[in-house]
Amino acid sequence: MTYMTPKFVFSPAEQAVLKEKLFTLLEQKGVRMDHAAVVEILAGAGANVDGATKMVRFPRKLLEDLIGKIPKQVLLAARDPRFDLEIPRADGGFYVRTGTGAPGFLDPEDGEYHRTRIRDVATWAKLVGSLDHINFCAFPSPVDVPGKTADIHALREMLTYCPKHIWIQPYSGESIPYLFQLAELAAGGAAELGKRPLVSFITCSLTPLDYKYMDLEVIVQACRRGVPIHACSLPSAGGTAPVTMAGTVLLAAAEVMVLLAVAQAIQPGTPGIATPLIFSMDMLTGRSLQSSTEAIQGAAAAVNFIKTSFDIPVHTYGYGADSPDIDGQAQSERSLLSLMVALAGSDILGGAGQVEVATAISPLQLIVDNDLAGMVQQLRAGLSLSDETLAWNDLLNLQPGGHFLNNDHTLMHCRSAFKGRTFVRQSRETWLKKGQVDFLAKAKDIYDEIMAGEHAGLISQEVGQEMAGLVQTADRQLGV
Amino acid sequence: MSILNELAKSIEEGKLQEIKEQVSHALAEGLSAEEILEKGLMQGMDVVGKRFAAEDMFIPEVMLSARTMHEALLVLRPLLEQGDQNVKMKGKVLLGTVEGDIHDIGKSLVEMMFVANGFEVVDIGENISPQAFVDAIKEHKPDVVGLSALLTTTMPAMARTVEAISAAGLRDDGRLKVIVGGAPVTEEFAREINADYYGENALDGVEVVKQALAG
Repeated sequence: MTYMTPKFVFSPAEQAVLKEKLFTLLEQKGVRMDHAAVVEILAGAGANVDGATKMVRFPRKLLEDLIGKIPKQVLLAARDPRFDLEIPRADGGFYVRTGTGAPGFLDPEDGEYHRTRIRDVATWAKLVGSLDHINFCAFPSPVDVPGKTADIHALREMLTYCPKHIWIQPYSGESIPYLFQLAELAAGGAAELGKRPLVSFITCSLTPLDYKYMDLEVIVQACRRGVPIHACSLPSAGGTAPVTMAGTVLLAAAEVMVLLAVAQAIQPGTPGIATPLIFSMDMLTGRSLQSSTEAIQGAAAAVNFIKTSFDIPVHTYGYGADSPDIDGQAQSERSLLSLMVALAGSDILGGAGQVEVATAISPLQLIVDNDLAGMVQQLRAGLSLSDETLAWNDLLNLQPGGHFLNNDHTLMHCRSAFKGRTFVRQSRETWLKKGQVDFLAKAKDIYDEIMAGEHAGLISQEVGQEMAGLVQTADRQLGV
Repeated sequence: MSILNELAKSIEEGKLQEIKEQVSHALAEGLSAEEILEKGLMQGMDVVGKRFAAEDMFIPEVMLSARTMHEALLVLRPLLEQGDQNVKMKGKVLLGTVEGDIHDIGKSLVEMMFVANGFEVVDIGENISPQAFVDAIKEHKPDVVGLSALLTTTMPAMARTVEAISAAGLRDDGRLKVIVGGAPVTEEFAREINADYYGENALDGVEVVKQALAG
């Protein structure tokens, strides 16, 4: 498929300049890595390493070779194989991921905001399993379980209730082995997890140009098991990155490519997805924003640059809002963001259901995002052109002044228009007569319908017991 | 414009290159270091704080003002410490980013603002364990301890740190105040974890601490 190239996305000539700068930056400046084993592997591969400063510089040829080994296709497997995700999608579309790590929860049950609890994690998993356009799930951050093992408790809940692929954000280096073990239990063993990775891990740079132990260890462990990684950079323009978005895009792309290159140096062929998550700092308040005009431009530019320059899977925020509530602003922000990054060519649009710059999630927003995803999916696909879609025969037989409602062609296609279940398309009079039900009320109806459904646990009693034992061990070992 | 007003204006406008000379000139004119600080430079910082709160100044501009204040203090501090100029620091603040979190932008900004507003600051760094906070408080005896976290995933470490400070008996006499801040931190969270105060941003944090110590 051909992507539309909006004016803000860099031109081919500008992208070529950006690519040159990326290689130059990593060759001349380099990055700092706090992981001796990884640094040693890179030195062995030909990187220039300064042991005293932990700086690693990548000769261009080495980096090109490593980037050349990044797989073009990635499988994100699911508990239920019907939900397996093959990237890139054969139909040219994208996949949608939910928001990750949110400590805040906008509860549809009472309409109140509260801290995320472990039961909310289960609710989230069940919703994702029931929404057609939400393809995989990240977990929020529960506060009513021990803090040091919150990620382990949350993953257990996800594996119990979510039939779709799960993305894992470890909260500490100590929890990484437990997270892998839980995934292996769900998959039926380490070899099975490697063949069908039910989970993938996020690994992040510490912008600018720094890499901490935990994230590099995630790569080491993922490479060992054949589990995909989402190589992530989260620059905030004006704070941890240049205030001008071009520089932020360059920095994000460079950091992402280093993470992917590290994986290839450790284990060639390790599946990886470039994941630039672009923020801009509000210079009046210091808050990092994910849906400002600049952040949206940056996300689209970063996606388009990486996609066209390196031809690898790319992932960024497609949803989310800076608004703290699921109000009109939140809908405007996510609509603009999702459309822009979808048209820029992103394979995965993340952040579904999140508001307040990824620090809160809302089930009702997730249900609305499900509709938006369906709509944007169709918008990105474009229109097909054929005699059938032109209704060429009907046009040739058309009587001026007539209509198409009785045509077989209309009958055949009348159900194909996208219909979001949460959208209201009544006249004002009808809307008033029918109780002024707005999109959020419709989303609440869908929420009630989903939660009233059957949500049996997906794991056997035996595996469930093993998981419970593992979580208890983690609580004990990690000092809870 | 009087010399003191000029100094205040220079802080507000961030005249980094000129400020040392202006302070030296004011001293040569017979103004005391205390007067220069309290009636000149600090007045400028007050205006900066008000303009920032009114969204009339951007963070880089505020930082320039704070850096200008630091420059001015390089000239004044030796005089203030000579003893005849009895200007006391407004309080001692100990700052650190909690365990598991190695972000320092917010904390550095907070530090700069506290220093520019006349506080003594001890920065104990990033990824600080609860016990290390306890040890540092015992060593430095601050009036206020400020905890910073950028990641949602390290907020539990903030709770553990507050708990450890309380468990060590360091809040028993009510003198030590605990203030928390950082991108994902909220006032509600601050209450939940039993912190004394929440700073929405760097300057808000300074104002909150000023009022707390004054009260």
